[in-house]
Amino acid sequence: MPSLEQYIILSIILFLIGLFGFLSRRNLIVILISIEIMLNGLIVLFAAISHFTKDISGYIIVFFIIAMAAAEAAIGLSLVVLIYKRLRTVYSDEITNFKG
Amino acid sequence: MNWDLIIFYYLAIVMIFSSVFAIFSRHPVYTVLLVLVMIVHQAFLLLTLGAEFLTVVQIIVYAGAILVLFLFVVYLINLRKETRRNVFIRLVSLIAIVFLLFGAFLIKNLFILISLKPSFRAYLPFSIEEKSNVWWIANYLFRNYLLQFEIIGVILLVAILGAVFLIRKVKTVE
Repeated sequence: MPSLEQYIILSIILFLIGLFGFLSRRNLIVILISIEIMLNGLIVLFAAISHFTKDISGYIIVFFIIAMAAAEAAIGLSLVVLIYKRLRTVYSDEITNFKG
Repeated sequence: MNWDLIIFYYLAIVMIFSSVFAIFSRHPVYTVLLVLVMIVHQAFLLLTLGAEFLTVVQIIVYAGAILVLFLFVVYLINLRKETRRNVFIRLVSLIAIVFLLFGAFLIKNLFILISLKPSFRAYLPFSIEEKSNVWWIANYLFRNYLLQFEIIGVILLVAILGAVFLIRKVKTVE
């Protein structure tokens, strides 16, 4: 059985990959997908801690995280479709409506 | 042969490499499909942690609903390969990632310290007893966490109504 430390390292690596994608990509859909990768890192962390401390609460927090991810994806993707309808672009550096 | 460790390393390596390739691929369709690979492997990682219910929820909700939604939006909008690179932001974020990596491995010890403390609840050998994982999750979810469960339901309802409202308003304006 792998130890808790290995699961925590895996979750931190996944979170940092998602953070790097969130900061460095220009496509709005890829930015939303990297938020999903960060949430997956959190899921691994909570499930591992719940398994190693024999406490069921971490699994329930994972359940809530998955529900929140569904709501966030619905709202975010509808905003992306709205931006594409208005401005005909999905790249974050071409949306310059609020520039003075 | 320690099969647990072999399975864990296989799942971890596939998850890390598929998410790295998903971040660096030029085309959004490849990104969505690689994230699908990552999520299926993560479901099996949850299975090794003894969470059968969460494995099924992960596959149904993430792979079946959320990524299909992403794929629909990728097909809906105009695809254009991302050729230009944002060099400055990439450099800044690389430096930020190096510092965060340093901080994260300090935080890791903190997590281990916290999680090694005995839990304030009673000791629950939920994967060993004859009561299954689903029984324990249902028991806790509908007794101790009922209010949070209802709040999640309201949040999902607001998300659905918000999505419908955002899309319909443009249609009436145009």
